Order: sequence, then structure tokens, then C-alpha cells
Amino acid sequence: MKTLIIGEIINNNLSSGTLEILGKAKSLDLDVQVVTVGSDENPSIGLDLCKQTYLKRQNNSLNLSKVATKISEMIKNEEISLILGSSTYMCRDLISFLSVDLNSSPVSNVIDFDVASGNVSTVNSINGGESLYKTKINSDQALLLIRPKAFDPIEVNFNEDFETIDLDGSDLEVFDIFIEEKSGPQLEDSKVVISAGRGMVDKENLELIETLASKLNAAIGGTRAIVDAGWMPYSQQVGQTGKTVKPDVYIACGISGATQHQVGMKDSKFVIAINKDEEAPIFQLADLGIVGDTLSVIPKLNDNI
Amino acid sequence: MKIAVCAKQIPDPANEVTYSNGTIVRPEEQVLDDTDRYGIEVALQLKEKFDAEVTIISMGPSGTQKGLQQALQMGADKAVFVDDESLKGANSLMTANVLSELAKSLSADIVIFGTESTDGYSGTVPQQVSRYLDLECISYVKAVEINDNVTLTRQTVEGSEKLNMPEKCVLSVTAGGVEPRYPNFKDIMAAKSKPIEQVSISDLTINTTQNLEFIDIETVENSKSGEKIIDEGEAYQEIVNKLKELKVI
Repeated sequence: MKTLIIGEIINNNLSSGTLEILGKAKSLDLDVQVVTVGSDENPSIGLDLCKQTYLKRQNNSLNLSKVATKISEMIKNEEISLILGSSTYMCRDLISFLSVDLNSSPVSNVIDFDVASGNVSTVNSINGGESLYKTKINSDQALLLIRPKAFDPIEVNFNEDFETIDLDGSDLEVFDIFIEEKSGPQLEDSKVVISAGRGMVDKENLELIETLASKLNAAIGGTRAIVDAGWMPYSQQVGQTGKTVKPDVYIACGISGATQHQVGMKDSKFVIAINKDEEAPIFQLADLGIVGDTLSVIPKLNDNI
Repeated sequence: MKIAVCAKQIPDPANEVTYSNGTIVRPEEQVLDDTDRYGIEVALQLKEKFDAEVTIISMGPSGTQKGLQQALQMGADKAVFVDDESLKGANSLMTANVLSELAKSLSADIVIFGTESTDGYSGTVPQQVSRYLDLECISYVKAVEINDNVTLTRQTVEGSEKLNMPEKCVLSVTAGGVEPRYPNFKDIMAAKSKPIEQVSISDLTINTTQNLEFIDIETVENSKSGEKIIDEGEAYQEIVNKLKELKVI
């Protein structure tokens, strides 16, 4: 099946989400090509295993609708049947635009998919991962938004061999571009993640988590509730609308375990949960649950590690 | 200025979502999706500055209309909705098709959404509506500054960026971007006399199809032990032991 992956660039390379989708597409033996969208000057994104086109956009204007129009053209010219993108801000915009152009509703939050006798079928995780929802796509083109970490990334060698298409900007000028500073272990690839929820009571108590994180060389995450409350930047949100993590150890501190949060952490290998409420749903996902006040347990951990 | 804000009525999120034949089971009484309160708040702030008319647009079983009432209580002027059996289990594109037709019928300049609904969370409808309306989509707005110009801050993967809001566009607003207002008693009473109008689907141009076919829902086995220890002051030791066993420390 002719397949187009919409790629993204992080640190001058293809994003891990792109490489995960590429890994899955190759394992299904799909006839795949990649169109990568970015504004980097000279990214190293050429692939030895498939065709790569670089759509270079201007970062001083918002022109994703023009990017989508270009991709629509490619899909029609190349008779693409399957379009895949990672569930990121950019791909969500692009796949949504394409779905209107192609009159084919996309499937969001896909965690697995298959292609059999010309038909694409998908699997979504619902109710915080308690159930799997299966769908068959009956349109000529199938559009999938895939959750990060659904598949293992492919090992590839990058080269400079790709076609670049420069795209015009738009009238929507962008200014005050701010890049969040990232320090310490990163959420997506840390072996230990400590996450905070409303049970931390006050923003200042996050210092306890920071101390523990530095002792365990862990990355720090948070629930949507505390990110919305402004305690942490969005880049640290774990859950449906944030990041998906799969660390060896996940320590949930004062997190009740709403569906929204579970989706982002349920595949962690070992889950330790500390929560006052014995009935909190997070305990159903925990390998070790401590029913108690996070604010009294963590200081003791800090003193004894 | 005419503003359309999308508001979805959803089953009370305190209850687990249940499905029947692949479609969410919707009780008679549904509530306003909290996600939409942020979009409504932005619309109301624009109304205060620019004297705009704010209309709620909605699709789905109307039931007791509690969710629509809640949107009007915040301060929207009126509501229009489409409720049709043929839209049961509508996919995101069909939903966007209907909502864009509603926005068109209102000649809306600005169409505002939350980023994704709490029950379906496909997260694609705002962008799809913008494409149908041939308007720019400014997605993931996390801050709004209203002066003579309106400056929007967008969330990006790496951080954020700012734009000036054009005269016509579609916005999706993230939770936490603004602080939604709580209606007082007077607002609640006033909402009761605001118009709520049902629009027939036959008055709209719908050219989407149900291209997504439900196959099955399967329950996942929970492999977690769910072992719980009540902390009587020493439970931290269990964590320390476990971290040693797992070679974290």
C-alpha cells in the first residue's frame, strides 16, 4: 500500500515519533515515503530506506494550511492510500486539514494498525487503557494520528539525500518565539519518572519532588491539573493531551489517576503510587501502592536515599 | 463582530464513559464540556471589548439542554444546535462538516473551540472546521491579550509563539489559557430567556460519510498487582526497598 509518513524534525534529526511510525510501516512492508515538515536550515534527514521530501517552511509565519495544500497535491499525484503522522501539534493540524481535502475522517490516538487486503484497521486505547477500540477504515485514503511510543523506533542511517521544497510564508506573522529551557533528564527517555498531581497541594511543595528526582536521576512530570494551574510548563505534562512515557519506574505522587493521565503512563514497567485516597484509580495501575500523605512520605524518602 | 463558539454536551465526566455498538452512551442530561469553557471565556472577553455577538454552536443529542444552558449562563447570547439521528456516532470530519455549516449560517467572523472534547478527544475538529471555512486556524492558543489588537500566544512543541488575531479565523484554546468565569444567580436566571434554536440537518450541506466502521471493543487485562500498603509512618521503607530491588538506587 502506498504510504506517506509526515515527518517532524527535532534537534536537526527526524523525531522519535517519526522513526517509530517508520518502524511500524516497514514491518508491514508498506511502500513508504516520508515528507518532513520543518524550518531547519540543513537538517540531516535523508533516509537510506525510502524517499524523503523536505517541505521547508518559514518559521516567522503560521503557514501550516499551505503546507497541507502541498501535501494534498503530493497525495493525489502519487496515489497515496495511507497517511500517517504522530499525535503532535503540527501533525494534528496537518492531518485535520488533509482530512477535509480528501473527505476522509482521520482516526486519532491510534496505538496499533494493520493493513490486510487493501484495508486499513486501527486500534485505539479508550477509558484510560482499560479497553481497546477497533475500527476499519472504508475510504480510499486512510489518515492516522499515532500516539508516541506506540511502536519501537527503526534504526536508520541519515544522509543528505533528499529533495527540498521551499514553501512561502503566510500573512499570519509570528513573533516572540519562545523556546522552553530544558534541563535535567528528559521525560520521554528517562528510566525513572516522578510525577506530581494535585495531592502535592502547593506549587512550593514541588521542591520535594525535585530533590527526590535529583537523587534518582529522574525526570519530572505532572498531571494536566497542575500544568493548567501553572505549576509546571506544558512540556512536562504526562497524559492524553501531554506526553506518553514508558520508564522502568514511574512514581505517581498525589495523583488520583484520571483517565486523561493514565493514557500517558500506563505502560510504565513498574508503577509506585502514593495517594491519600485509598479508592484512587491510580492504585489499580500500581505495582506498589502507598496509601498515605505524599507530603509526609517524600521527605522521608529524601532523607533515606 | 460575530463569534461562534462550539460547546459540546457530554456525559458527566465523573462517570466512566460507556459504549454501545462503538458509540458513547449519552444520558438525557448531559453537561457542558469543561474544555469548552475556555473558548467561551475568550469569546466573552472579545465581546466585552468589541461589542460582539456570541452564539454557541453545538451538535449531538440535545436532551435536557443542560450543557447549552450552562454555556448561556456564562454569558453567550444565544445557541443553535443540530440533533439528528443520522449523526449518531458521527466521526470527527462529519462533526466538523456540521459545525462549519452552522458557523457559516451565522456568518461568524471568529469561530472558537477548545482543543479536544473530554469524551471523544479526537482533537481534530477545530482545524477541520477552519479548512471547511477556508479560514486560517490558530490552534492551541494558551494566552490572549486584548487591546486594540488581539495578541494570541500559541503553544508549540518547543515553547510558544505569538500572533495578532486576524479579522476572520478559527481558534482552538487550551485549558488554562484563560480563567473561565462562574455565572452568578442573575446570570443563571438570565440564561433561561436566551434563545436556543434547533437547526434541521436538511438545511445544511453535508457531504461527508461515515468512513470509519466500528469493529469491536476489547477489554485489556490489568497485569498490575494493585498491592496497597497503608502508611503508618514507615511505608517509605517499602519504596526504598523496591527501588533497591529494581537497582534504581
